[in-house]
Amino acid sequence: MKSLILKDLYNIGHNAKSMIFILLVLAFALIPSSGVEGYIIMSGILCSMMIITTFSFDDQSKWLKYAMVMPVTKKDIVISKFIVLLIFSAIGAVTGLVIGAIGGTIAHKGIFSSVNNMLSLLFTGAVSLVISEIAGSMSIPLLFKFGAEKARMLMLVSCLIPASIFFGVYKLFTLLGVSFTDQIIFILLCCSPFLALVWNFLMYKISYALFARKELL
Amino acid sequence: MEPILQVENLTKQYPDFKLDHVSFSIPKGAIMGLIGENGAGKSTTINAILDLIKKDEGVVKFWGQELSSDPRNIKENIGVVFDGVNFYETLTPAKIGRISAAAYKQWDDTTYDNYLKKLQLPPRKEIKTFSRGMKMKLSIAVALSHKPKLLILDEATGGLDPVMRDDMLDLFLDFVQDENHSILMSSHISTDLEKVADYITFIHKGKALFCKEKDELRYQYGIIRCKTDQFDAIDRSEILAYRKRDYQWDVLVADKEKARRKYKASVVDDATIDDILLLYVKGDQIK
Repeated sequence: MKSLILKDLYNIGHNAKSMIFILLVLAFALIPSSGVEGYIIMSGILCSMMIITTFSFDDQSKWLKYAMVMPVTKKDIVISKFIVLLIFSAIGAVTGLVIGAIGGTIAHKGIFSSVNNMLSLLFTGAVSLVISEIAGSMSIPLLFKFGAEKARMLMLVSCLIPASIFFGVYKLFTLLGVSFTDQIIFILLCCSPFLALVWNFLMYKISYALFARKELL
Repeated sequence: MEPILQVENLTKQYPDFKLDHVSFSIPKGAIMGLIGENGAGKSTTINAILDLIKKDEGVVKFWGQELSSDPRNIKENIGVVFDGVNFYETLTPAKIGRISAAAYKQWDDTTYDNYLKKLQLPPRKEIKTFSRGMKMKLSIAVALSHKPKLLILDEATGGLDPVMRDDMLDLFLDFVQDENHSILMSSHISTDLEKVADYITFIHKGKALFCKEKDELRYQYGIIRCKTDQFDAIDRSEILAYRKRDYQWDVLVADKEKARRKYKASVVDDATIDDILLLYVKGDQIK
């Protein structure tokens, strides 16, 4: 398992400089107009999408076939991808927080003007982690099933499907007369890490079921 | 003595190809050459042996155990080299060593470093700058550094120049100096197998046509070169394969000395592995 994670981190390490460059460009583009919060969430999602790149590298080097002759199981391979996703999402959220805080200060967004603002920023970081985990984990079963070739399309699908599900649930509750007050939204956001956990577990089960049947030629 | 690898009735059906009840076994200390034309089923056989594809029928046992019974421990003792390096091109041999060290309990850094030095592979250079030969050497260094007992090579010498191939073959011969070690080596370059293999399994159109000691093939098989009337006089039960050329018939027989005594009017040549392969692939068999 450790070797699988290490391999992905080494592979993606080569792209780290360009990712930081993209995040800096986005900071200039997003923070003055949309604020720091949007930027932090965007940073998390962008970094989580690097999981697609790891599959692309695997495909190019026929890694999965090779990995299966090493003393690891298919289960290890699937779990390692979810761990790598968590690492990427966490890096994205933390990097977003750091660049966002610096950018926000330069853009006079009043981040450090009160404890509340600072806490709100940290809270956004946690939300960014949850959103990128949910969006990223959606792409993993699709990648195991279809490969990285369709990565661009999958990026869209992996964001749209969970967004549509959550929007559908929101609409359903609205129709049932439930009003979403700030307090309810706050409680829901506090519960979201558990939702992300359940979602990841579900995606893991689907990914494993798909990969277990896959023949590696 | 229990074989290191035993393959029995290995079968895999695809819509346009069938690996058909392939059987062979590799004793300890031996090199088994898997030979056949491109698309004959050599890689399918290796993929099925390694459980990379699901077999429809048959049993594969490593040291008397099926791979699924204890995959981690059995795989610790198997080194595999496919046709190329299976690490992404921006990695370096040093990083590949760290990745492999995390995977194998038996990994030995010193052995790996020694192989890198012996094979003149720069540890900190990205593998995208390596030639094909260097990449293959790296794959073999990785495969040998976790101290496997069985080496499985799928077209590992394909596309290499003769000098590089010779270096590789020397490595393989070194490996089987330990009598507990064996190699399963697929190749369509028969001269490589002629140099190192102890046994040859010939796969053609998904079927194992024979599994024999190499020396039996080299010293007993022969090719009768004859005219049509001489061909007609040959005992049909002795013909393994035959091929009509412009002015002569080439007939593969299993006992060249017997053929020399019996068909004195014909020329009976020694058969190389290449000759045998060509006659089976391009020739016909008596039905």
